[in-house]
Amino acid sequence: MNILIKSATIIDPSSEFHNKTQDLLIEDGVISKIANSIENTKDYQEIQLDNLHISQGWFDSSVCFGEPGFEERETIENGLNTAAASGFTAVGMNANSYPVIDSNSNITFVNSKANGHAVKLLPIGALTYASKGEDLAELYDMNTAGAVAFYDYKKPITNPNLLKIALQYASNFDGLVCSFPQENKIVGHGVMNENVTSTTLGLKGIPALAESMQVARDLFLLEYTGGKLHIPTISTVESVALIKEAKSKGLDVSCSVAIHNLYFTDDVLNGFNTHYKVLPPLRTQKDIEALIEGLKDGTIDMVTSDHNPIDIEHKKIEFDHAAYGTIGLESAFGALQTKFDLDKTIELLTLGKARFGVKSSPIKIGNPLNIALFNPVGAYTFSKKHINSKSHNAIFENETLKGKVYGIIANGKISLN
Amino acid sequence: MSELSVDHLLGIKYLNPQDIQLIFETADHFKEVINRPIKKVPSLRDITIANLFFENSTRTKLSFELAEKRLSADVINFSSAQSSVKKGETLIDTVNNILSMKVDMVVMRHPNPGAGIFLSKHVKASIVNAGDGAHEHPTQALLDSYSIRERLGDVHGKKVVIVGDILHSRVALSNIFALKLQGAEVMVCGPKTLIPKYIGELGVKVETNLRAALNWCDVANMLRVQNERMDINYFPSTREYTQQFGVDKALLDSLNKEIVIMHPGPINRGVEITSDVADSKQAIILDQVQNGVAIRMAVIYLLASKIKQ
Repeated sequence: MNILIKSATIIDPSSEFHNKTQDLLIEDGVISKIANSIENTKDYQEIQLDNLHISQGWFDSSVCFGEPGFEERETIENGLNTAAASGFTAVGMNANSYPVIDSNSNITFVNSKANGHAVKLLPIGALTYASKGEDLAELYDMNTAGAVAFYDYKKPITNPNLLKIALQYASNFDGLVCSFPQENKIVGHGVMNENVTSTTLGLKGIPALAESMQVARDLFLLEYTGGKLHIPTISTVESVALIKEAKSKGLDVSCSVAIHNLYFTDDVLNGFNTHYKVLPPLRTQKDIEALIEGLKDGTIDMVTSDHNPIDIEHKKIEFDHAAYGTIGLESAFGALQTKFDLDKTIELLTLGKARFGVKSSPIKIGNPLNIALFNPVGAYTFSKKHINSKSHNAIFENETLKGKVYGIIANGKISLN
Repeated sequence: MSELSVDHLLGIKYLNPQDIQLIFETADHFKEVINRPIKKVPSLRDITIANLFFENSTRTKLSFELAEKRLSADVINFSSAQSSVKKGETLIDTVNNILSMKVDMVVMRHPNPGAGIFLSKHVKASIVNAGDGAHEHPTQALLDSYSIRERLGDVHGKKVVIVGDILHSRVALSNIFALKLQGAEVMVCGPKTLIPKYIGELGVKVETNLRAALNWCDVANMLRVQNERMDINYFPSTREYTQQFGVDKALLDSLNKEIVIMHPGPINRGVEITSDVADSKQAIILDQVQNGVAIRMAVIYLLASKIKQ
């Protein structure tokens, strides 16, 4: 791949060209020259886009792409295309499939589907067979096939001894164990945050307690076992405080927050709109403030779109029956930019890679090119026409977002919208 | 004549005080009608109403059907204890199938909160919510307030305590909204396990001592414990519940004033109230039932007049 990128403002604090507008010459996929102006002497493909900004490619630790088994929701190919169109060069794909991705051959199947794509797909294997929460799946075998972490997607580990064993066992090969922060008995039949809004709507509430209890339990276990624990998608004030304390003790714990949990409070549920039915549920303004603070002080290691395409048949029904989840890749950049400045937005979109085994690739001469291309300016109303996913369950539909993504160049491939 | 601010009756929280006033004034008229020798008016001869009950109901269904027939509407009934989802058909499809037979209005009871609101966004018919899960039961709250107004002259400034299973009760929630909208003071009373943690933010008082609650109030609305909605035992035994939250005649007579006793039915005699309380002159339980027909006639009449436009 030989290209010349013209007039790109580089957003990469690890690069000496941070905040500078430069031309970049790419030869054989590697950055060979960065300068104020580069002549296209070898007639390379030129990329020149309006108000072009580039940064290291973005990373999302939690996406679902339907396959195998839920192709009506999404396919790996279209999911990866969506990720590329949204600026992401690496995505952690959950074992939210049927059959559940819980073996070496399943991981190999997923990898084969993603092979050769500009976006790097990082398979996350199930922690237990069929994600039933009973017996550990073959974690080591999946690890050797390329699984970057182990997670029973959105299913809490109800048996604490199982998590204890999982953490101990995975530490043999430095495996990352994920535990969804929810105590199911406290949740009961809850479908949204427990608050005055749930009271007003007559919907059963999920107290913040259900999350913090599980986080506290998991941290006690981690302290006992050692090993590497990742807590996906925390949503409460108390979780931030608990993880902050655990990190100060030196525990090897990381966590993420879903972008929509930084953006919406539970009062948007007043119209019973199932697009807002997500897990963990949308919480309160106090929670949002604590989560943002947690991102600033490093307690929270990464943001995620928590991208989960759900077909209309599972969303356009009574609230109690509707499936949890929203798509989020397409809106991630635009939504973060309404909450944070550009530098912080890019920092958030590139955080957490190392935890999932993705190497950083600063925009420096000699490095392979792995970038997101975007224009950070311009507000727009996010609507169906901005959706690339097969399913249209977008929590950000009708929200005013900021900035446009052009695509990515990564893995030796150009993927521009 | 003025009209309602809404095209559906989905919950009390979507109404304004003028709507409630209009419904009451219209109900006054219909109450007079149903006490005539000929209890029927031809108002809705050109309107067809479907009563869709996806949850068991006896009195609400009868009350609606009677109200519709007293207004000369054509009525069809559909009852299924099973939700449509379990049968594999969506709620929208079920209702659209019925509407394609030229039905103008749907009265629906459904086990899921927000089902009526959901439906109102996806089908072309006027929707009356006859109870949606633990969300709202607006006609019950309207008839309750109407009955208080009838007995005490006005709802404004009155103190009303709702006693019992507040957590699972759409009657409690709709009553809270209706009473607050009319300027009444509201208290809820029951075991802590059956009172939503954040209910105070709706501007209601919370009391766990029944005697204190009864001494405070002008009206006590005694709710049934909704065992069918419970996923765990929220109190150890019915006996122990009654010891703390049941009203008997001795308790009623020992209060410092004569309060009004209400109950949305069905009564579990000897649990939330004893027979001598249910049958006492302080109880207006059967007035509530009669007023229910007048209120439902008023609601249907007012919504139908918007369809006709």
